[in-house]
Amino acid sequence: MIQSIAQKEFVSTLRDRRFVVLSVLVLGLLLAATLVGRASYSTLQQERTLAQQTVNDQFHHQPNRHPHRVAHYGSFAFRPKSALSLLDSGLDSFTGASVFLEAHQQNSVNFSQAQQSGSLIRFGELTVAFVLQLLVPLLIVFLCFSAFTEERETGTLKLLLSQGVSLRQVAWGKIAGYGWAVALVVAPALALAAWLLFGQEEVAGNPDLWARLCLFVLSYAVYYFLWIVGSVVVSAWQDHARTALVTLLGCWMLGTIILPKATANVGAHLYPTITKAQMDAEVHEQAQKGINGHDPQDQRTAALKEDLLMQYGVTSEKDLPVSVPGLVMAESEAYTSKVYQQHFTDLTRTYERQNALSTLAGLLNPYQAIRPLSMSLAGSDFAHYVHFQQAAEAYRYQLVQRLNTLQAGMGYGDKERKLDAATWQAIPTFAYQAPPLRWALGYLLVPALALLLWAVGLSWLGLKVIDNTRVA
Amino acid sequence: MRTFWILFAAEWRHFKAAKGLVLLTSLVLLVGLYGIYYGTSEINRQRQHLAELPALARHNVDELKVKFPGEADAGEIGYYHTTFAVHHPTPWASLSLGQRDVNPYYVKLRLLGLQGQLYASENVNPTKALSGNFDLAFVLVYLFPLLIIALCFNLLSSEKEQGILTLLLAQPVSAATLVGAKLAFRLALVLGLVLVLSVVAMLWAQVPPDGRVGLWLALALVYCLFWFGVAFLITSWQRNSAFNAVALVGVWLVLVVLVPGLLNVFVSAARPVPQDLELTIKQREEIHGGWDKPKTETMNRFFALYPQFRDTATIKERFVWRWYYAFQHLGDQSVQPLTVAYTNGLRQRYDLVNRLSWLSPAVAAQTSLNALAGSDLPAHLAFLGSASRYHYALRAFYYPYLFHKVAFTHADFAKEPTHTFTSTSEPATAASGLGKLLISAGVVFGAGLLLFRARPVNPR
Repeated sequence: MIQSIAQKEFVSTLRDRRFVVLSVLVLGLLLAATLVGRASYSTLQQERTLAQQTVNDQFHHQPNRHPHRVAHYGSFAFRPKSALSLLDSGLDSFTGASVFLEAHQQNSVNFSQAQQSGSLIRFGELTVAFVLQLLVPLLIVFLCFSAFTEERETGTLKLLLSQGVSLRQVAWGKIAGYGWAVALVVAPALALAAWLLFGQEEVAGNPDLWARLCLFVLSYAVYYFLWIVGSVVVSAWQDHARTALVTLLGCWMLGTIILPKATANVGAHLYPTITKAQMDAEVHEQAQKGINGHDPQDQRTAALKEDLLMQYGVTSEKDLPVSVPGLVMAESEAYTSKVYQQHFTDLTRTYERQNALSTLAGLLNPYQAIRPLSMSLAGSDFAHYVHFQQAAEAYRYQLVQRLNTLQAGMGYGDKERKLDAATWQAIPTFAYQAPPLRWALGYLLVPALALLLWAVGLSWLGLKVIDNTRVA
Repeated sequence: MRTFWILFAAEWRHFKAAKGLVLLTSLVLLVGLYGIYYGTSEINRQRQHLAELPALARHNVDELKVKFPGEADAGEIGYYHTTFAVHHPTPWASLSLGQRDVNPYYVKLRLLGLQGQLYASENVNPTKALSGNFDLAFVLVYLFPLLIIALCFNLLSSEKEQGILTLLLAQPVSAATLVGAKLAFRLALVLGLVLVLSVVAMLWAQVPPDGRVGLWLALALVYCLFWFGVAFLITSWQRNSAFNAVALVGVWLVLVVLVPGLLNVFVSAARPVPQDLELTIKQREEIHGGWDKPKTETMNRFFALYPQFRDTATIKERFVWRWYYAFQHLGDQSVQPLTVAYTNGLRQRYDLVNRLSWLSPAVAAQTSLNALAGSDLPAHLAFLGSASRYHYALRAFYYPYLFHKVAFTHADFAKEPTHTFTSTSEPATAASGLGKLLISAGVVFGAGLLLFRARPVNPR
């Protein structure tokens, strides 16, 4: 019986001209967003790959230089776009694309898209995720708001029940029918995206991406299930189609526009972010005077020198087989880096605290659960960004230390000498490996749980409401 | 006229009785107040951060005074000394934060190559930046249309659906007076709310009382008028409430969400700015190439720019600061075309958006409010220009020390130029936005009137 109700809903939905117009519109937007996403993905990716290749070549083709010159020459890390970012570009427009890697200091990641556009970008970007997260639910609302009210107004609900069907069965039938209709709208766009995605050679055989895409589809299925059940329940709960529609639209606006912005703003307000200037000053101060203020840099340097002289049993720097400036530089880099890491962790923690409110709001608002979930799966969320920053910093640190070691090996008076050009070719360049799905699972947990809780809670509570609904 | 006021008063009593609407209106009022609080406190925080910068710069000077107790080589000072170019907000920025949260509002500068320092970004939580700012401009541009929709979607249809309209029109009341009074009441309510919120915000942010007050109010009021016009147009269609609600929300979705999104896609495709990465790579290449080039070649190129230093001593040493700064300078010089192309590209993007903003009054309103507040891209570009000029001033200050081999003393720190920049409003952009809003409002009201004229109110 459920099946025939579902089939009836599905068929009559397809016959409804309003739905056809709306869904063609949404489908068109989805397809357009997919193509736009694909185009911007490949432009940005090309730009960044080319830039990375250029700087890598430049690094390898340096002339004879002193290693510390090379450390200042440095390199760049360009953040590659994740393959799935064509579906959900997440934070990508608000995070930088390039970071200069050099000795002594950690630079910021610069040139975000948001800095390169006017305030237009703050209206939201037309990405696949935007359509999937905001517009499809709206379509669902328009599709389902009259699910029960119409049957009641036309008196067909009574007829249906007289056939021995329970209200629950009617509800499930409708939910299934609408589900099919929604799938019909969303599936072609996702199929196109998958086809575009896996048409690329480097992606085709990547099981990690397949897994991400499957989870992506699955989470949206749950998200739409929520909206469909919610809309059907509201439609059963409200007496008139009009009030049901207004209630649902109100929920949509509150959930997708007002709450996300409000929670993000309140979060940022509660846990203020330290400015870059202040943070740099603190890192510098602690690196100079010691983390506890007890071991200033000149004392550390003096101790290092003394140890060296003792170790090699000589009395003068000249007789050492190693270069003292090189070793001092290595020690200072290690110390500064340690200090920086502490501050970077603190900053990341501040951001996480700011975002915690939004994450918690995901328990109240499914949109705030699907958004982080979708970004995480697409590899465009905050955690993935931090992963890139840390990878770039790890590369910078090992590169600089490697160069410091080379300098140390040059012995006394290294400043007057250079190392052969071949030396630089042996040094590996920066190659970013995005983390696997396994790594991201931890970040998926809370939002996924929130969605599932909603699904179970809504089905349970909603069906109770439906049981008590008026029949006529 | 009497009937008009009777109907107006009746609307007021209706409104008071409708719990949901009162709740919604108070909610919008509260949300607006929160937006004002958020905007002002955010700008105050930025001001406070800016106020802390001189202390950091002083601390740096103190450190250098300890490091170089006597006279120092100005080259060493230029290398280790950091100073700040600062971008102060206008008081109006509290009302419309614009891009002030994603664009850095200060730049840390050393005497080295400018282009490597100018684009450093500030600590910004990207998740928060994605969600955007909850300022008064957001409340006005995004939420007020929704309030207007909620108030007006059943302007005439609810009366019709309840069967009251037939009764009403049987009285000596014309349909025009009826619709006029209903619309007038809602207009008074919403515009009153806009006025109250704007005035509270202006007082809170302590904006200077000049023409911009009028411009802001005009922008906010005309933007709301436009949405009333849309509601009026849909009402003149004379369909049922559900249809009206769907149509109005549809219009909102198209104008506030879809058109801006599509416009953004179009603008970034039509005006690409690929120069950023190129610029940053090339500048490094030029600067570091300076180490390996013959010193006389570098110096001759530099002297072409600064002929006053041509007579200084020829460089024979392995390293000397004036040579070092000369090739830093030349590095900036060599990427000059890219820098210009980059900033022009950004400016063109902004101009294109302004040219196309008639497509969506929401875009026109938002860009106008930001232009008024001086918080959008042009303000940031102006700041970058000002910071570049400041860096040139720093060079002009240090070069004589370097080339004439004058020792840098502790007293010289006080002579170093300092920087301050306050963004300015762009009333012209705001006024052109106001023009577009006026035309849009006129068009929708006109269309509504025509439709009413063509199809007199049918009470059933």
